[in-house]
Amino acid sequence: MSYFRKIGVVVVFSLLATACGGGDGDGGTPESGQPAVNQELRVGAGEDQYVREGTSANLGVQPVNANIAETLTYLSPTYEVRPLLAERWEFRAPNTWRFFLRPNVKFHDGQPLNAQAVKTTLFDRVAQQRGGGTIKAGPNSAVVVDDLTIDFTPTAPNYRVPEQVVHPSNVVYAPGSDAGNRPVGTGPFRFVEYQPKERLVVERNPDYWGTKAKLSRITFRFFPEANARRLALEAGDVDVAFGISGPDVKGLRSRGFEVATSPVGSYQAMYANIRGGPPHDLLQDPAIRLAINLGIDRKQLVEGVLEGQATADQTMIPPDALGRYKSKINGFPFDQARARTTLDNAGWRPGPDGIREKNGRKLTLQLISGFGGAEVHKPVPAYLQSQLRNIGIGIDIVERPDSASYQSLIDSGSGDLFLERGSQNDANVGFLPTLLFYTGGSGASAQYTKLFAPGPRFDQILAPAVTEPDADKTQSIVADAMHQLIDVDMVVIPLAGLFQIYGLKKNVQGFTPHPSLISLRWDNVSLGSNR
Amino acid sequence: MRNYVLRRLLLFVPTLIGMSILTFGVSNLTPGDPAFAFASRLANRPATADEVAEARKDLGLEGGLVPRYFRWAGRAAQGDLGISFSTRLPVRPELVQRARYTLQLAIPAAVLSVLIAIPVGVISAVRRGRFSDQVLRIVTLAGASVPSFWLALMLIVVVAVKLSWVPSAGRGGAVSYILPVLTLSAAPAAVLARFTRSALLETMTSDYVVTARAKGAREAVVVGRHALRNALVPLVTAIGTSFAALIGGAAVVETVFVWPGVGRLLVEAIGQRDYPVIAGVVLYSGAVFAVMSLVVDLLYAVIDPRIRLADEQ
Repeated sequence: MSYFRKIGVVVVFSLLATACGGGDGDGGTPESGQPAVNQELRVGAGEDQYVREGTSANLGVQPVNANIAETLTYLSPTYEVRPLLAERWEFRAPNTWRFFLRPNVKFHDGQPLNAQAVKTTLFDRVAQQRGGGTIKAGPNSAVVVDDLTIDFTPTAPNYRVPEQVVHPSNVVYAPGSDAGNRPVGTGPFRFVEYQPKERLVVERNPDYWGTKAKLSRITFRFFPEANARRLALEAGDVDVAFGISGPDVKGLRSRGFEVATSPVGSYQAMYANIRGGPPHDLLQDPAIRLAINLGIDRKQLVEGVLEGQATADQTMIPPDALGRYKSKINGFPFDQARARTTLDNAGWRPGPDGIREKNGRKLTLQLISGFGGAEVHKPVPAYLQSQLRNIGIGIDIVERPDSASYQSLIDSGSGDLFLERGSQNDANVGFLPTLLFYTGGSGASAQYTKLFAPGPRFDQILAPAVTEPDADKTQSIVADAMHQLIDVDMVVIPLAGLFQIYGLKKNVQGFTPHPSLISLRWDNVSLGSNR
Repeated sequence: MRNYVLRRLLLFVPTLIGMSILTFGVSNLTPGDPAFAFASRLANRPATADEVAEARKDLGLEGGLVPRYFRWAGRAAQGDLGISFSTRLPVRPELVQRARYTLQLAIPAAVLSVLIAIPVGVISAVRRGRFSDQVLRIVTLAGASVPSFWLALMLIVVVAVKLSWVPSAGRGGAVSYILPVLTLSAAPAAVLARFTRSALLETMTSDYVVTARAKGAREAVVVGRHALRNALVPLVTAIGTSFAALIGGAAVVETVFVWPGVGRLLVEAIGQRDYPVIAGVVLYSGAVFAVMSLVVDLLYAVIDPRIRLADEQ
């Protein structure tokens, strides 16, 4: 072997040995409790999806909330509504909400927070959106009572306003500020710099009305690709990474990183197309829907497939949002024997290939996976396919690469089971069932109700939630409606309750994982030493 | 030469028109409603029918496909590529900015791939059949076959995470270019090396090469001045195509390394059904290929004086 070849082999093997060596994780040694001198945090966020123009401009607000602008009320990690820019609020019959603003609050540019600013930059802004947004704002809905008091009367009866204004789409900006390019708010951080698709930088607001932030600066870096985001954390390029997937948790912990999981804030479920025409009319039979519910081992799904990074909740709406009424929803046990008996009694007999048949028709269903992209759901569809095969139901998995093409199948009704993930991003507990399944009002998604609306009994149970001013009673009504939807009509087949999973370096302190990513707060976060 | 160039430039117009019609038609026919995608993204949940109707009006999606195409084409002819559905900002400035970022990777990657490919191809051809040739052929085959996504992640794991030599992603100083440029240049370098080897093997059996050897020329002169020079013509075509593809943007590499280039812009636009951006990027890519094709044709005449352009004959 020539001299140069020998050198080359040695170099290659040296590099491989170094690379494959069990390198130290860069999670840092356990923090000493002493704050680091450098309080600049780097966050690995998902894709940059800010809108930059129009009434929906939302730079620094959502989906990545940099705490530049604030809302009147705040959604706690346990789905309670807490005061924020509004100290308190009261309902004035028949349909007016009066908000009492916090005094001595200034915007980053020095303008005072007052009722006129709230009217102009929140209610009048939202009123320009079709339907007035979820709060149903109209051009004359907001009335300034005095400098720190404002009345808001939605254009239609809306008893959920305080629970809805927690959503970052309802932030208050400084009058005259440019929400799409240089947002100015009242938050603990103020805008510094934005490089589209690369990063957003904010710095501490020294005049913040509340507890001053400990961090001096936060740089949010946008990583569309989840693996690259996690690797950036491992390489030490970021201190916090959003959207860690369940299978990556163990590996991160073993390499010295912290993993913070929020309370359940999202769900994964299948929606059954109960209104489809042939060949997608099989799920009109409740026996099949019951068998599917009984045939899935949710515990194994959570512990095995999702590696413990989920719960086997069958409430769809996060349990914390339902409060003490979550027990009204029973869900289904894992009982494949009973599932088979149910199908036998309904006339579905096993065929030669194990898939049941009835009157010459095979019990094969199309499972559509693609909400948010098919990759997000893997390998759950394959798991469901194997589980349901055990009870004689064939599953054809149809994957769609993105939400838009998934939506086209919803529009055309081309599918039997639709696999989705949903999040609860405000405190309006009736929001999701009203949007997706309720036909009694105008705020529903027509595409969804066309396939999945359970019918008059569900509408009848849910209807009072729309006009019930008491939040506790609303929770109870919605829980009853969800019981009807999940346990009785079985239109929704819940699979798991999902957490938000965040990866952190060990020296990141004070981070409170929030189930709603868009409500995450950074004012308590700091960096310990030993970065 | 001048008339030839002018004629080729004029041919751009029908080419770009054809591409725009194809792109507009295909993107509008793909499943998925951009109005729904836009409204749902804003609301962070499936949009209601009212919200979709409002979005359709805001995005200019009312009316048939043909009138919409002519509206867009009329503005595009004046340099206005419309407004992005997702950011609501004009497409052209964003496209220009993103193209600049892509060039920051594409040019070094193209240069690196040529710097690697030609020596590797020459060595492989000159040492045909020997151990070094076999090793290089395996290496270039691997380079051409390895998916760029896998290569990108492996480089990040090894070089950025384990060795901590460079940042894992993002634009920054000079070191931030290393991994994306290496990833981008791997496949073109491999393909060009194999191409160089093949072209050189063909020219090395030519009469003029045999004659040069017979006249006592050193092997380096035989290979460098006689064989390689004549192998350059097909090689320039391959280099031109490769460079055009790099300038067009490498979506996977730009996504993994968080490089806000044109490739990533196209992928984002397709996912969001952002028709104006899709059409703009396709026009840009078409123009790049057309210009590169012209440059390659002009280079032929420079490399090989025997080649005359059409109007010079």
